[in-house]
Amino acid sequence: MKKKVLLMGKSGSGKTSMRSIIFSNYIARDTRRLGATIDVEHSNLKFLGNLTLNLWDCGGQEAFMENYFASQRDHIFKNVEVLIYVFDVESRDVERDMHYYQSCLEAIMANSREAKIFCLVHKMDLVQEHQREKMYEERCRELRTRSEPLKIETFRTSIWDETLYAAWSTIVHALIPNIRTLESHLNNFCSICDADEVVLFERSTFLVIANAARINHIDAHRFEKISNIIKQFNLGCSRSQTHFKSMEIKGSSFTAFIDVLTNNTYVMVVMSDPSIQPAATLMNINVARKHFEKLAEP
Amino acid sequence: MLKPKVISQVLRQASTNGINAALLMNAGGSLLAFAAPSDREARIYAAIAANLWSTYLKSSNSDAAFRNEKQEDDLRLLILPCEEGVVAIAAPSITMLVCLVGDKSVDLGMLKAKIEAVSRHLSEPLEKVASYQQ
Repeated sequence: MKKKVLLMGKSGSGKTSMRSIIFSNYIARDTRRLGATIDVEHSNLKFLGNLTLNLWDCGGQEAFMENYFASQRDHIFKNVEVLIYVFDVESRDVERDMHYYQSCLEAIMANSREAKIFCLVHKMDLVQEHQREKMYEERCRELRTRSEPLKIETFRTSIWDETLYAAWSTIVHALIPNIRTLESHLNNFCSICDADEVVLFERSTFLVIANAARINHIDAHRFEKISNIIKQFNLGCSRSQTHFKSMEIKGSSFTAFIDVLTNNTYVMVVMSDPSIQPAATLMNINVARKHFEKLAEP
Repeated sequence: MLKPKVISQVLRQASTNGINAALLMNAGGSLLAFAAPSDREARIYAAIAANLWSTYLKSSNSDAAFRNEKQEDDLRLLILPCEEGVVAIAAPSITMLVCLVGDKSVDLGMLKAKIEAVSRHLSEPLEKVASYQQ
């Protein structure tokens, strides 16, 4: 199943940077090396085996933009499943950004009515901390009114922290067709194991696909932080030419297991009951593997 | 999949009348569930029991091979009277072991009946689990 994802936004807003971090294992610092994208860069990203993201990274320089709306209009905006529009929060010329955004929406409306639209207010790290909330709220409100009648979802992001993972996880979540079944099976798994929480990650990007919890956790951003940490660790592993397969982290009040589940996923199981032996949990993960593999098949 | 807490309950039922500890472990000796006075004891028992079992299994296999017999009818039950008590080990599935540790007052016939009952009770779910493991 191929899904077309458009990544658009003004030149220099950080589209290619975020794509490189999420899908090509760049670290934030490395994105400085990236130059401007010329025209459209296509990439096919295999995700969960049967799902392929066909990502169109559209260069944002004005000459290209004009081109997209004119001669390439049909080519670009046909059959779009998801539009991701990136705004640079520091941009001086907000009016022009909005103008392009609206042209983009018009084209989407005309060619792919069903497309989901996500707006990322990017480079939030450049805004002073106490102003972030206010600034983001303002931008959101404006974007919502400008996007009428289409429904949009907005995120504040930065490549320097976990917000990028949060946004992309939500986007990917919207793309997975059998997400409901996956979630309910994960819930079952969680209750059979007596786990506090079970989280499913995509294997190469470490984006969160689904989670099941039996307790409420205070930190809403924990998954993205974990994604970020594990991914760094994974990069560290690949530098020494090994791959990490599983790990077990023992804290004073909990044990967390991270293990390969299917060909395309990792699972994290958090246990806090000391009477349950680690070997039992590992065995349960092992046993669940086949079941989830069956689920992942088309 | 197995619910570790339920298995602990089953094992707790077996650990009465002089049986101090009842354990379920994998062939490597890692505990899956147990009923024992302390974690430490359970872990030590499990490690020793798994080691004993694998040693006997190996020798029984090589013995069968030596006598040109089939290996299907391999080790089923071990009862080891020790200085301070008695140990029984059985294999409810290919990858799992159960172990009961009793004090001197335990009668061997009772111990045998108990471990066979526990083993039989657990064998069906454990076989099912084993069939799912690679």
